Amino acid sequence: MIQLIATPDRPMFEQELAHMFRERKRVFVDRLGWEVPVVDGEFEIDQFDTEDAVYLLSLDAAGVQLGSVRLLPSTRPTLLSEVFPHLCERGVPIGEDVWEITRICTLGSGPEALAVRKRLMIGMVEFALLNGVKRFTLVAHLPYLSRLLAVGWDCEPLGLPQPHADQLVGAMVINVTPDTLIHLRQRAGVQGPVLRWEVRDAA
Amino acid sequence: MPLFDDVEQFVKGANRATDINELSGLLNGAVETFGFDHVALVHHVNLHAPDAATQALQYITYPDALRAEMKARRQLGDDPVLIAVQRSASAFLWSDLPQIIDMNPRRTEILNAAMACGISDGFTVPVNVPGEFLGSCSFALRAGREVKRAMLPAAQYVGCFAFEAVRRIRQLGDTIRVKEAKPALTTRQYDCLVLAAQGRSDWHIAQLLGISRETVHQHIETAKRRYQVASRTQLVVRALFDSQITFADVLGPQLSPD
Repeated sequence: MIQLIATPDRPMFEQELAHMFRERKRVFVDRLGWEVPVVDGEFEIDQFDTEDAVYLLSLDAAGVQLGSVRLLPSTRPTLLSEVFPHLCERGVPIGEDVWEITRICTLGSGPEALAVRKRLMIGMVEFALLNGVKRFTLVAHLPYLSRLLAVGWDCEPLGLPQPHADQLVGAMVINVTPDTLIHLRQRAGVQGPVLRWEVRDAA
Repeated sequence: MPLFDDVEQFVKGANRATDINELSGLLNGAVETFGFDHVALVHHVNLHAPDAATQALQYITYPDALRAEMKARRQLGDDPVLIAVQRSASAFLWSDLPQIIDMNPRRTEILNAAMACGISDGFTVPVNVPGEFLGSCSFALRAGREVKRAMLPAAQYVGCFAFEAVRRIRQLGDTIRVKEAKPALTTRQYDCLVLAAQGRSDWHIAQLLGISRETVHQHIETAKRRYQVASRTQLVVRALFDSQITFADVLGPQLSPD
């Protein structure tokens, strides 16, 4: 299942979020060699992990984290608006119904990672439909573009790719409709909702 | 901004295309628009393995002479372009091949044979979907024409979106899985293997993952048993071969040819 952690839920999920920042450091810094800030030597936390950020965590039946993603409202500062506006040929899409996807992080390998990624994507689309989000934006490294498209959603470029840190990166927009959800669920063999918004007592 | 307009138009068309004819029409148009003459959209499977070949994607508009040459050669394992796709996650020009792979006499001969069929250069976009066969989209230029470098970023998009459109139309995502029989690795085994493949020592891996050196050793030994191989090198090769780990995992962002 995909656990939604919205801003007010943060205090109840401190452990899970700490674990997520640790896994993000392991994937993005240790494995992929990204030059992003590391806090206290173990957490990958940047200027966009603010109060505005919403996180989706993919958890297995035992509650073990399999992956995570960060969602940001485009009405607040985003990676695209602050760092990569030049990737958008016709301006950065901004609006109540536009959110940005960053830090898609999956922990397994090969087909299993693809399955986790698909469920995360379904979770994002469910989040979008529940909250009136019509479009997601994201910045993709070109070598990873194929696996992003392989999810099977309606994805289009916002501008031509440009060099960044020895690689090409490009901005994408994903159009979300109820059909997107049906299609993604079919393709992933998922029957019902994956997104869960479990609100815990701050005991 | 007409270049991006053309890209956008192709992507919208490809995303909506409902059959292969429609898509190949769009693709052939894009090939011309972005300054190329031929295209090859292929999955890299051994064509002698019948069960793999039935689902594999092969859309090639190379000149007849080159197609005949490729067919006569049969052994795609020697093809320098396909070898470079395994080596590089980033797109590359064929004229830059010597910077990506060792162009031994055999590979040089194959590239020269392509040139002799009326090709001056090409541009290949690797397509790597974990758990599926490696693929690529190559654009080739006929003799006497020069690559327009300004078109290459656009061509990369065309390659990726065209490949995905074919995957979608043929519903390959559901059927073209690499053999299920492959050994599954646990997340920790996978982590250790990727780091080992990057050439890190057990000690270094232990530091990075926050586990003991003995545990790292155990993870790798268990993975070797699952693959029934004796050495770490064999383990890395096998895991790369069936996409349990990928070149992007191992080589990370330092993939650009140096």
